[in-house]
Amino acid sequence: MKSPVFVIAGYVLREAASRKFIMAFMVGLTLVLATVALSLKLEVVDGALAATRLFGEVMRSNIMSVDVALRPIYRAAAYLVFYGGILFGIVACSDFAPGLLSPGRIEHLLALPLQRWHLLAGTFLGVMTLALGGTVYAAGGLTLIFGVKTGYWTAGPLIAGGLACVGFAAVYAVMLTTATLVRSAALCSAAGFVLLVGGILAGFRADVSRYLESGFGRTAFDAVTLVLPRLSALASRAADLASSTPMEKGSLGMLLGGVLVFGLGALSVGFWHFEGKDC
Amino acid sequence: MDLHVPAGSAFGLIGPNGAGKTTFIKSVLGIVRPTAGTVRVLGGSPEDPAIRARIGYLPERLHLPGTWKSPAFLATVARLKGLKPDAAAHARLLERVGLADAVDRRIGGYSKGMRQRLGLAAALLGDPALLVLDEPTDGIDPMGRLEVRRILQEEVQKGVTLFLNSHLLAETERVCDRVAILADGRVLREGRLEELAKAGARWRVRFAPGADRAALEAAGFMAVADPARGARPGGDARADMAPASGGREDGVYTVDAADVAVLNAALDRARASGALLMELRREGADLEAVLVGAVGGGPGVAA
Repeated sequence: MKSPVFVIAGYVLREAASRKFIMAFMVGLTLVLATVALSLKLEVVDGALAATRLFGEVMRSNIMSVDVALRPIYRAAAYLVFYGGILFGIVACSDFAPGLLSPGRIEHLLALPLQRWHLLAGTFLGVMTLALGGTVYAAGGLTLIFGVKTGYWTAGPLIAGGLACVGFAAVYAVMLTTATLVRSAALCSAAGFVLLVGGILAGFRADVSRYLESGFGRTAFDAVTLVLPRLSALASRAADLASSTPMEKGSLGMLLGGVLVFGLGALSVGFWHFEGKDC
Repeated sequence: MDLHVPAGSAFGLIGPNGAGKTTFIKSVLGIVRPTAGTVRVLGGSPEDPAIRARIGYLPERLHLPGTWKSPAFLATVARLKGLKPDAAAHARLLERVGLADAVDRRIGGYSKGMRQRLGLAAALLGDPALLVLDEPTDGIDPMGRLEVRRILQEEVQKGVTLFLNSHLLAETERVCDRVAILADGRVLREGRLEELAKAGARWRVRFAPGADRAALEAAGFMAVADPARGARPGGDARADMAPASGGREDGVYTVDAADVAVLNAALDRARASGALLMELRREGADLEAVLVGAVGGGPGVAA
């Protein structure tokens, strides 16, 4: 027998599959990948990129090894997947939880033999499956295209995509908790945007703090950004991983730990609040 | 409030808007927690998923996923009830609620009545021991109501306990054998329908034209007002019932008699005065009268 968490996750995924917005995004992503695959020609000689043609036009570039030549592309792709993915996720997934918790549906679900936390955990799992699927499709597609064309294979973009999912998990945890407080898709996405902006600032908190007047403002900024996940720093580490750029030892572990602790904390608040809520 | 619903009964909950009927149903299902006291359902707590697995529930405003088709919805509900989805059984259930022709259509294209039928099918999944239905025939056409009523009666005959909240008093009257009247979160009256509907010892009598009204009134009969002729703007029902008021129904009287001996004595006195009996029947109150009597007939009284 399937756990109710998986059934609810399936419920969310089925809802997602019926959304034209999400389907249009997947079709668009497929078209971009297909265009790159069909229009880009890379000539590799002995592991070096000798020539590049885009839509038949020769692109001027120095001869360099394939892995070095692909670094900026993978780096840009990692940033795009990270921020673009989180932004799209905030918009596309904002109404899953409010929809599930809406009057007429929540009563029906809560009258079924499942625990309240199953609903939230299932929604979270469904959304994260969706995010992971989209990320693997985008990053995997790019890796596959460049791998086939150059013979250079790296898991960097996929790992970077995984980090983007971790970042989105923290953002969605806040959105889900917001949904238990107010059944509003607009407020859920607003909470996600606020956390994304806060997370970007938190990644540069030391730099930003220097530009603030000392006193209450700076102290408040330092205090607030202290607890926020360092999303911009995580995006930079994702780009480093995608482009095989060496990074500071231990920095990724600390970042991931911080983001996970924040996400779990936000989820715990949501679970706790929903557990005692009359619907 | 203290309410006991016997197992296997068909129990109706009625009351004015805002009486707390839906809140009560939600507390029975553990969706709303009581601020004080305890709720016991099927011998356990509604918080227990094993207990809820034996309950079929149809909420008042069921919000269904519009892009799904009914078999997929039933399969998901079955999984959430811990059952293995059975496509053939689900098809039979959809046929039973009258949705056999709509299985290939998206739920978003269903009418309100069709959604209610699907909600009823979902509630019936897994052969529940208790059916809690909040306005089950809302939006369903009269023929559909007959079908739903037949399904509910079949379930009750199978031994299922039915807990029905419906603003259609006639429906409650036809389906339920026990009723509770709720107002302001309190149970005003509760019991078997025929006990509640019993008007006591009042009889309605029709005499042939030409009966002596004064003699009949002296014999204990009270003339009944004709609503078509006697109702005055702003006048209340009690005033219209007064024997002295104008516009009486020709030859129709009521008489209070505790038993048949007293009734026959009164009839003998009437016949002795020359009145000829045409019709005699016991006055029984319908559910609406019981509700109005219990809650009061002010504006806003509705089930």
